[in-house]
Amino acid sequence: MNETTAKTEGAALLYELHGVERRYLKGAAEVMALRGIDLDIRAGELLSIEGPSGSGKSTLLQLLGALDTPTAGTVHFEGQDLSRAGEKTLTEIRSERIGFIFQQFNLIPTLSAADNVAIAMAPRHVSKSTQRERAADLLSRVGLGERLDHLPSRLSGGEQQRVAIARALANHPEVIVADEPTGNLDTKNAAGVMDLLVGLQSAGDVTLIIATHDPEVARHASRQIRMRDGRIAKHATVA
Amino acid sequence: MISVGYLGKELRRRWSRTLVTALGLAAGVGLVMGIMGVSNGLTAAQNQALSPLSTVGTDVIVTRTVAPASASSSTASPSASPSASTRQPQGGGGFFGPGAGGSSRGGAANQINDLNATDQAALLNANSSILTDLSKLGPAGTAFTHDFFVPGTLITFPDAAVQDVAKVEGVQSAVPGLSLQALRESGTVPALTDTVTTGGQTLTAVARPAPLTDAEQAQVRACIQASGEFTPPAPGSGTRGSGGFPRTGGANSAFTKCLPERYQQYEAQVVVPEQTITRILNPPQTDTQSKTYTVAGVNPSDKTTGLITVDQVVSGSWFTSKPANEILVNTAYASTNGIKAGQTLAINGSNYTVVGLVTPTLTGNISDIYFDLNTLQAVSTNANRVNEVLVKVTKSSNVDAVAAAIQKQLPGAQVLTAKSLANQVTGSLANAQSLANTLGGALAIIILLAAFLIAALLTMSSVAKRVREIGTLRAIGWSRGRVVRQIMAETVGIGIIGAVVGVVVGLGVCGAVDAFGPTLNATTSGLNVGASTVNLFHQSSAASVSQNIHMQALLNPQIVLIGIAAALVGGVIAGTFGGWRASRLAPASALRDLG
Repeated sequence: MNETTAKTEGAALLYELHGVERRYLKGAAEVMALRGIDLDIRAGELLSIEGPSGSGKSTLLQLLGALDTPTAGTVHFEGQDLSRAGEKTLTEIRSERIGFIFQQFNLIPTLSAADNVAIAMAPRHVSKSTQRERAADLLSRVGLGERLDHLPSRLSGGEQQRVAIARALANHPEVIVADEPTGNLDTKNAAGVMDLLVGLQSAGDVTLIIATHDPEVARHASRQIRMRDGRIAKHATVA
Repeated sequence: MISVGYLGKELRRRWSRTLVTALGLAAGVGLVMGIMGVSNGLTAAQNQALSPLSTVGTDVIVTRTVAPASASSSTASPSASPSASTRQPQGGGGFFGPGAGGSSRGGAANQINDLNATDQAALLNANSSILTDLSKLGPAGTAFTHDFFVPGTLITFPDAAVQDVAKVEGVQSAVPGLSLQALRESGTVPALTDTVTTGGQTLTAVARPAPLTDAEQAQVRACIQASGEFTPPAPGSGTRGSGGFPRTGGANSAFTKCLPERYQQYEAQVVVPEQTITRILNPPQTDTQSKTYTVAGVNPSDKTTGLITVDQVVSGSWFTSKPANEILVNTAYASTNGIKAGQTLAINGSNYTVVGLVTPTLTGNISDIYFDLNTLQAVSTNANRVNEVLVKVTKSSNVDAVAAAIQKQLPGAQVLTAKSLANQVTGSLANAQSLANTLGGALAIIILLAAFLIAALLTMSSVAKRVREIGTLRAIGWSRGRVVRQIMAETVGIGIIGAVVGVVVGLGVCGAVDAFGPTLNATTSGLNVGASTVNLFHQSSAASVSQNIHMQALLNPQIVLIGIAAALVGGVIAGTFGGWRASRLAPASALRDLG
């Protein structure tokens, strides 16, 4: 693990978060989901974020995944301030530089596995045949080379999450942000998915940010943070 | 810019939603096409009802009717411009004719009222010739039949107007017509007079001669004294006057003899001479029967245009080269009265041969009997006068312009186009037409709006169910615009399906209307020769003509295109609502837990 630490320490800063706050209006009540987060993430890291429900984990992931912007503080992604970026910039970043993986897999139910991967490439100027080729290639890499034309409803949870991983990788992202990727999977499938994700990170392809309460997942991480009440309660670098 | 594969799979795999939305649009489109088809069919039916007019080639009819009191609403109102006719008191004459002494064509504005009054006076005058001079029909007891011809509400005018109309640009031909109301009176000439004998009585008259003067009294006294028979009253009693004298009596004969001459004869008997006085009975008691019908005069040389044409002769033939004693009879009138081609009718002492039976136009002026124009002019004492000009224009698209030009050329004319006559079609066809136009239009709009609303609501609901899917698309890098376009494309796709199904539904609706539609009735009243102003008459038997037409729904390419367009518009509207809803979804909604 020293090797990993050494590797990431020298790498460029991917994210810089300063005093990040995020408030929501939940009905009439205002919910303070994040109460001042300062965090740096370097390229190539595997960061695990733990914490109970409602600790602000998912909110933090949304900010990191450029799905949302903070109500206070700044989120810099490769030097670019996401908190001030426009809709178009955020869309581009989501499309080309960040892959997001959901706990519920979030596949389009009407599309086959291959099509689910391909639609991620739709906003880019990529030909249909290239899209299909790349989708098939990615699905083979996640072990679903035989199931290209299966609808999500005909795939197991683990297989669906593999399709989601393939989709996240479609546009060669620098970061994969995964929100409890194994939360809906049994132990065996969870291990398979985790191996896949960690393998991607350790191969140096991507930076991996995973929210989880699975200690097994956290064990893979180069750095762990624990969230509580919208704050980082514990910050540990795995030695 | 949209993912076609995704679109197709979305529509196919969510087929129930696709189908329900598309069927909603299709039902709307189909019904609207049905309504439009029916409306179109009714228009066609009306055109069919009016088609005889177009086959005659009469595009414009110029007449002169009494200006209505409130004439401003009518474009063809004679009062729109007072004409020389206001100066012409007799027989509704002088109408727009420069020949009849109408030197000034324009008039002061205050002549408008005069015009109406003049019109009405002329009309009454023309129609009053009907008041029969029974004395001219022969001695009492003579059976008579006499036909009177009056212009009804269509005032006659000099036939020079025909040439005036013919000169208007765009007029191909102008043909005269004279449509009259005929009243046949038959009966026995009544006793118009009786005699009374007076006189022969002996009358006693009492006279009162002037009192005696003093000189006369002295004379009388002297006379009596001379006779010695009577002692006169004391002198100075002159105030008693003449009344004091005894009236009669032989005893006083001397007195009597002494009276002045005028007193000698003041009693006399008068015998009134006997006289026989002839009285005119007012009103005479008659057994006269009246029957009305309508007649028209046509120019026999105008075979293909005018009130009737050679095409409309259904039996017999057109007028021959000697038309003076020939008539054509309306088939309806002929069948009512048992008249056949070839027979002879006696009218006012002349015999007319029925050379043929005609079925005249449904519109325009329908008459029972058609005469040679010259004959009718002579019979009805309307020499060189007509009351209609039937105009054919060179280009049918010009009808309105030519009508306006004629109106300008002949102020005071009532210029009717075939189109304006169409508005006079009554009966269930007209009712259905107006129903289709008003209620049908509103219904079509309501149906379409309902279909659009249903499609929009279904799309909104679909978007609401797909919040996470849409959020996911946004999260994996789809822009807001791309998501909206995709949603729009889906609903437009549904609209296309709706259009296809809707056209099929529309064809079905129209087919059902054709199969089960009712039969409609069209009645045209023509120009109403015998209308209200002269109540002596009833409506002529043939003045209005009815026709039965099967209700049809006629589809044409425009209606099909409108239906298709409506379905697509419905898709776009639904997509707009759905897209608007989707555009408000944040990428983070991909993480929303929908349970």
